[in-house]
Amino acid sequence: MSKNKKWTLATVLVLMVALLLTGCGGGKENNQDAQGNSTAANQESIIRSTASDVPNIDPGVGSDYASSIAFANVYDTLVFPAHDGSLKPWLATDWQTSEDGLTWVFNLRPGVKFHNGDELTADDVVFSMQRMITIGEGYGYLFSGVVKEAKALDKNKVQFTLNKKFGPFLSTLVRLYVLDKNQVMANKKPGPYGDMGDYGKDWLVTHDAGSGPYMVKELKKEEYMYAVKFNDFWGGWEKDAPEAIKIIGTTAGPTVRTLMTQKQLEQSDQWQTEEALKALDNIPGVSIDAGFTGSMLNIMLNNKKAPTDDVHFRKALAYAFDYQTVVDKLFPGCKKAQGPVQFNLPGFNPNLPQYERNLDKAKAELAQSKYAGKLDQYPVDIVWIANVPDEEKIALLFQANAAEIGIKVNIVKTPWLSFVDQVATPDNTPNASVVFVSPHYNEAGSMLESRYHSKSTGTWEQGEWLKNPEIDADIEDALGTLDQNERYAKYQKIQEKLVDLCPSIWVFDQAEKRAYQDYIQWPGAELNKQGKPVSSVMGYNFYYHDYKVTSQK
Amino acid sequence: MNLRAYILKRLFLSIFVLIGLSIVIFIIARVVPGDPARMALGPRAPQYAVDQLRQEMNLDQPLPTQYYYWVKGVLVGDLGKSLTTKRAVADDVKEFLPATLELAFIAAIFVVIFSIILGTLAAKYRNKWVDTVIRVMAYTGVAVPAFVLAVLFLLLFGYIWPVIPVLGRLSPEIMPPPTITGLITVDSLITGDLSAFWDALKHLILPALALAMGPLFQEARIVRSAMTDNMSKDYLAAAVGYGIPSSVIMRKYLLKPSLIPAVSVMGLDIASLMGNAFLVEVIFNWPGISRYGMEAMLRKDLNAISAVIIVFGVIFVLVNIIVDLIVAYLDPRIRLGGKV
Amino acid sequence: MDINTQTAFDVNIPSASTRYKEALRKNWYKFSRNKLSVVGLVIVLAVIVVAVFAPYVAPYPKHAGSFVDYQHANLAPSLTYLLGTDNIGRDILSRIFFAFRGALYMAVLVLVISLPVGVILGLLAGYFKGTWIDTIIMRTTDIFLAVPPLILALAISAVLKPNLTNAMIAVTVMWWPWYTRLVYGMATSLRNEYFVTAAELIGASKFHILFREILPNCLSPIFTKMALDVGWVILLGAALSFVGLGEQPPTPALGQMVSDGSRYMPDLWWMTIFPSLAIIIIILGFNLLGDGIRDMLAKGEHDRG
Repeated sequence: MSKNKKWTLATVLVLMVALLLTGCGGGKENNQDAQGNSTAANQESIIRSTASDVPNIDPGVGSDYASSIAFANVYDTLVFPAHDGSLKPWLATDWQTSEDGLTWVFNLRPGVKFHNGDELTADDVVFSMQRMITIGEGYGYLFSGVVKEAKALDKNKVQFTLNKKFGPFLSTLVRLYVLDKNQVMANKKPGPYGDMGDYGKDWLVTHDAGSGPYMVKELKKEEYMYAVKFNDFWGGWEKDAPEAIKIIGTTAGPTVRTLMTQKQLEQSDQWQTEEALKALDNIPGVSIDAGFTGSMLNIMLNNKKAPTDDVHFRKALAYAFDYQTVVDKLFPGCKKAQGPVQFNLPGFNPNLPQYERNLDKAKAELAQSKYAGKLDQYPVDIVWIANVPDEEKIALLFQANAAEIGIKVNIVKTPWLSFVDQVATPDNTPNASVVFVSPHYNEAGSMLESRYHSKSTGTWEQGEWLKNPEIDADIEDALGTLDQNERYAKYQKIQEKLVDLCPSIWVFDQAEKRAYQDYIQWPGAELNKQGKPVSSVMGYNFYYHDYKVTSQK
Repeated sequence: MNLRAYILKRLFLSIFVLIGLSIVIFIIARVVPGDPARMALGPRAPQYAVDQLRQEMNLDQPLPTQYYYWVKGVLVGDLGKSLTTKRAVADDVKEFLPATLELAFIAAIFVVIFSIILGTLAAKYRNKWVDTVIRVMAYTGVAVPAFVLAVLFLLLFGYIWPVIPVLGRLSPEIMPPPTITGLITVDSLITGDLSAFWDALKHLILPALALAMGPLFQEARIVRSAMTDNMSKDYLAAAVGYGIPSSVIMRKYLLKPSLIPAVSVMGLDIASLMGNAFLVEVIFNWPGISRYGMEAMLRKDLNAISAVIIVFGVIFVLVNIIVDLIVAYLDPRIRLGGKV
Repeated sequence: MDINTQTAFDVNIPSASTRYKEALRKNWYKFSRNKLSVVGLVIVLAVIVVAVFAPYVAPYPKHAGSFVDYQHANLAPSLTYLLGTDNIGRDILSRIFFAFRGALYMAVLVLVISLPVGVILGLLAGYFKGTWIDTIIMRTTDIFLAVPPLILALAISAVLKPNLTNAMIAVTVMWWPWYTRLVYGMATSLRNEYFVTAAELIGASKFHILFREILPNCLSPIFTKMALDVGWVILLGAALSFVGLGEQPPTPALGQMVSDGSRYMPDLWWMTIFPSLAIIIIILGFNLLGDGIRDMLAKGEHDRG
């Protein structure tokens, strides 16, 4: 029996030691963290930033926010969008265009090096253009109907011939990311694109072939993209520029908060909830940047599916919606939208009539609709994107407002990629979807085309299925107008027509809010503080080459 | 039936089960509307590329033929491409599986060690307060879903009392050891990187504990009741009578036979452990195959979903065979060729 | 065997109603000997009452539907809102009450559907042991048991449209094999009992043998398992709704509330803690009750002490 006691004692001891070990572990962890932080900040200046996804670093494929940030930092383009909205010569030093606007010739900057040391030539530009058009994913659509032929005139001269007049062609070139042809073709695998195999798609999933200021060192799927400074970058480097950047694919509130507190994250994503932002703001050394970077929240209404196919029904919803609560309570600092185009985009129409909450008007419109009296049979489905928790508030508000005029609304939470899949056909596209949209280049035409032209149906950017021949023709006509002022006037006309058709509920222009550490200097945040415009071309507010990381002290 | 024949039969049956499972998965994956080729290439891809991909994926063939090609692919490790990561699913599995294995292994160790210790204690002090505490913990432990426990851990150790890391496999400032086995604890030991080893171990504790907590107390209860049953057996009294030291009695005559019922239900524990890993990995941002599978499910990434389920099916079948082997080892009636 | 001797004995008891009362009293005695079972019963009854009468007992029944009140969002627990409000301004207590409804509804429906399916298949396979019926049924069962249930349930409900019905379908698909396996084991041993052989000899139909001779003798383990399973189904349902695959907003579900709340930790801790506790309590209640029922139905064991 006494031996038995010994045995028991031994087990108890083992248990205690085990507990102690865990306890000790805790203690040490703290010290290590403190040391780890300071050394990490000293030995390497890095900008770590969270995003809704790990970037898709193949410019032929990606077009979402995270990918656009990656492209801006890893690849170069012929022209560069400055914060004030102008286009700077970049890989192209200068260019000429023919009288009819159909032929463009660009002179390339000589001596630009790709990350592997290859020299960038006109051949690479031609290859990149053809690749984008053929694959047709991501930003490829900008060029696929427009560019007839790309030709290298000599080593540093490239010529594009267009199918039709296209006013904003130069602006769209900020999406032509130039890849190293030889490197891509050396890594091609068998695939669906004929001679081109898979066009290097498989290899480009985890590698880059660019010439931009940062080169991808590691792309860990579902985790992060890590890129380091490219010392031979043609644009040169300034002191204190970040040595490395890391884009982490998570927007989970607890993660962001923990990393920010421990100074293991320099910049947050813009999808943090208002509650989370408040908490982030309270962390010492962390500030919140709020700026209009072109993002806008829309409730897309499916114009081809009952009951949102009826214009009066749509208008009833637009009049019932409580815009004021959104900008006052839900997204403070944001600006109520005025029609389909962001207020800071060239070509915006400042004189547009707006929908305001007015239940009487809503009911009057509803009475005119063909679904009046049969509302029970026509519930409205509204989808919000699971990755953006704040959108749920919009969906719930929409539901409550619709209930006030007798419309029943079902809310569906949908992951981003499932939504992308749903909008591929008009039948699967939900009645209403809460989605953030951004222009692809800096003109109202970009929004009009990507949101309301028939050729953008089937993509996530048009849950409306407007398919209106008149609007299509107007958009094409406007885009084909070479004179800028004339083009802008046409854009404004289209916006008026759209307001009347009410294909969507335009909710607000988003003041994108991000938390960032005070030890980084961020041109966009500085401009926002001064009330100056910030680049509204998605991704270019995060051109890390121009950032600075100063010491924490 | 001897042990070898028994294992061979089990293996044979398992293969049959896995074939059945593959059919079930194939059906689940193919009833979903939508064109996988179009989904893979995007809505603006040219039709000729989509057609070519459809041909490559054998989508133009009748369903049984598709199934044949799919299984053929699976057998040579070709699991198709993931819509999410845009690369071969096999590569994804290779990358994410070790993290989950590492986590599940540590959780299983927690279950085994703590259930034996607690079960022995409860048996020794049965009907005393130790026993009562363990019983109450057992009831609560089973009633707390792993995902709730994980969220509560996150709240407690992430914010209120941050003594132990809550997210990921390694702290950001620690350089991960070179990938040899993919298990960070093992790799760091091989390369002699003790700080990485220690850091990885600390990151494992909370998720492993969240997974282990339910099964742990269940097992402790089973160990306890088996031990109290065995304590009243005649052979024990005989052993005491022969003057065998009590530590030997405890280990050889009491603990070992008492483990048999506990190990027999281990298979079920592993099942709940693996299932719960899907939520726990998401909560702790653990880059394992379960989190990958969860993402794939939410995104309807069919190739990835099929692959993850197959992988778990294989692991589960293997684990159950191993559990049977352990039971056989512990139970001489089986080991020595008795009837099962 | 126990059962049959008892039936023979019962014939001597005069009045059916006194016999019934007697059995009830005896069972209650067995059940209530374990205090924890009684606690379980109380919890379960309370949950059922609260769920059924949610529109009357919830302080703000409207908050379980499409309702927004951003003026009163993110309030800590107080007398007005006992468990606080969420980020939409909805009373958490009311939402928990309504979430119990979905949880119970799911548990009941899953068991009501999977039980007969599983039992019938198990009876058939067990009675026709060794024939092709046995092979087909039991090998199919093996397939479904070859993957941890939560994984396949997640996959099925994710591939289908996410809503409560599909979550129930997914869980049901994972659940019947357990009953099949249980009944199979009992049916295989029962079919060799003398009363089955006797029935076969006098030429009773297969239907009679399966449902009148074998089934009644399997009932007590089936009910025991069912009682113990309620907690598991609720847990599975909570796990599904945690990842957004159960009841869709604005209808509350427990898992969904925990998941939403976890985004606002630690400041709005009440959004996470209370739904978590609700899950723990409801599962604990059903587990304790299930244990009590098991002990009650287990013949004789407890009488021996």
